[in-house]
Amino acid sequence: MHRCSAERALGTVTMIVRGHKVNGGRAEGQAIVSKMPFSFLGDFDPGTGTVLPEGHDLKGQSISGKIFVFPVGKGSTVGPNIAYAAKQRGNTPKAMVCVEAEPVMVMVAIMNDIPMVAGLDEEVLDIIQSGDDMTVDGDAGTVEVFKRGH
Amino acid sequence: MNLSDEQKRMLDGEYGKGAQKALTMLIKYGEAFGAERLVKVDTCHAGSSPLPFVKEMLEGVGQVRTLTTLHAGSAGASHYGQALGLRESYCRQETAVQEEAIRLCVNKGFIPTMSCAPYLAGNVVRPGSTFSWPGSSGALISNSLFGGRGNRDAFPASLASSITGFTPDMLLLRKENRMAQVLVHANSDLNLLDFNEADYGAMGYYIGAIGGMKNVAVAGLPKGLPFEKLKALLSPMPVSGATTLCHIVGTTPEAPTVDEALGNRRPQVVVEFGNRELRQGWESLHTAKTADVEVVFFGCPHLTISEIGLIASRLEGKRKADHVRLWLSTAGTVRTLAERMGYVDTIEAAGGIVVTDTCIMGFPYDRLNDAVKTAATNSARAASYQARRGIAIQYGSFEQCIGAALSGRWGR
Repeated sequence: MHRCSAERALGTVTMIVRGHKVNGGRAEGQAIVSKMPFSFLGDFDPGTGTVLPEGHDLKGQSISGKIFVFPVGKGSTVGPNIAYAAKQRGNTPKAMVCVEAEPVMVMVAIMNDIPMVAGLDEEVLDIIQSGDDMTVDGDAGTVEVFKRGH
Repeated sequence: MNLSDEQKRMLDGEYGKGAQKALTMLIKYGEAFGAERLVKVDTCHAGSSPLPFVKEMLEGVGQVRTLTTLHAGSAGASHYGQALGLRESYCRQETAVQEEAIRLCVNKGFIPTMSCAPYLAGNVVRPGSTFSWPGSSGALISNSLFGGRGNRDAFPASLASSITGFTPDMLLLRKENRMAQVLVHANSDLNLLDFNEADYGAMGYYIGAIGGMKNVAVAGLPKGLPFEKLKALLSPMPVSGATTLCHIVGTTPEAPTVDEALGNRRPQVVVEFGNRELRQGWESLHTAKTADVEVVFFGCPHLTISEIGLIASRLEGKRKADHVRLWLSTAGTVRTLAERMGYVDTIEAAGGIVVTDTCIMGFPYDRLNDAVKTAATNSARAASYQARRGIAIQYGSFEQCIGAALSGRWGR
């Protein structure tokens, strides 16, 4: 279970969402949010960092250098190796935030030193929107989201 | 995480840099799922790539501490790359990288089975034993048919376990997490006695999509099904979903009854699987719109000796259509047996090839000398993966696929 808190300062709302640690490290960046389970094999092109399949809610968009927020991992156990190939080209996400931890996606993070937090309520997929500025603290298991102008 | 003295010494670097890194990864992996300890792993299966990562992990490692077989490798690096029509430059490049990796691994005691089906080549899982096998079909089969205990471990996790000899005590290693949450009833309108392997594949593909990551139980299947039909049922489940344990009631060692499969709990989801669902499974796998056939392939997961014998018997004295490529894929050890049985000669005389050491499911179509657009197979697992890569699939039984190889057209 996570707890949300909001602070209002200078027109920016900061929300802190608590999950649990999957892989340590801090990252700041822009969110990219999907509502679909994800596999680095099949769903992702390591050469460009973009999401591939027809019918995927991020089709054609890049997750490279962003904070990738999605429900859960799925698919092939070769996923971490594909992410490794992407990392050599600088195409991995800066951090990952999942509703649920799943073994293959957890190993994507550990093998490739990607900060990762999981164990959040499903509503984070509605609260966080693509383009939001956010920070991920893998060690603390927390996510901060900055919403402007409200 | 509570570490033993030996594990603490490993973490301190006493067993070398690679083992230290491997143990660190396993601790993080376990902590992400609330594991409190690392336990002995009885068998592992691993990959030999990416080479720089494998080198880093094996730094200072004398020998692996667990029986570890190696997974299928690149088609370009198999001895059959050019026979499969792959570009020579691609094969040369793949061979150079993979041979270096295999040399490195064999020196450390890895067994180069180069197969997705290490159970065909001496990697034996017993009821209650622990395993770490990437390759989602092998892990599912080991949990569900052999009664072993293992998780949906990815390649780096298993490599770390083979080096350290440990795996986190979590998820499916623990009895309380092995109960089924999804119960599938095979309905009485199904003609199960006539089910071929493609029917079972379509059934598994349908069930996997509903099950997601949950444990599944399938009730109502005939007792004493051959291993090959069970393999066909299970192997597509982690392709349409992420099934890692499927209790086949009456077959799975820990599930003699529905109640035991469910742990005497009420299932979260109940699925009635009848002819309508079977048809849906078939329709989602058969994507070709024409009767064209360019490739016919068998062996995902790798063929057993019985399957190769069956194919050879149907090809005896016959010849494939000129424009069709007929590929069979298996482990090297199984091919050796097939040679001794005369099966390979029969298949080659019919124009087919028996390929080893590689994964036909992940075949590099983009590296072929001549492009291919359609393929026929009896593997639901391969059908789904290849369809995602733009290959139009003719999905059918052994008999239908062999018929297509001989006539050069798909007949329904």
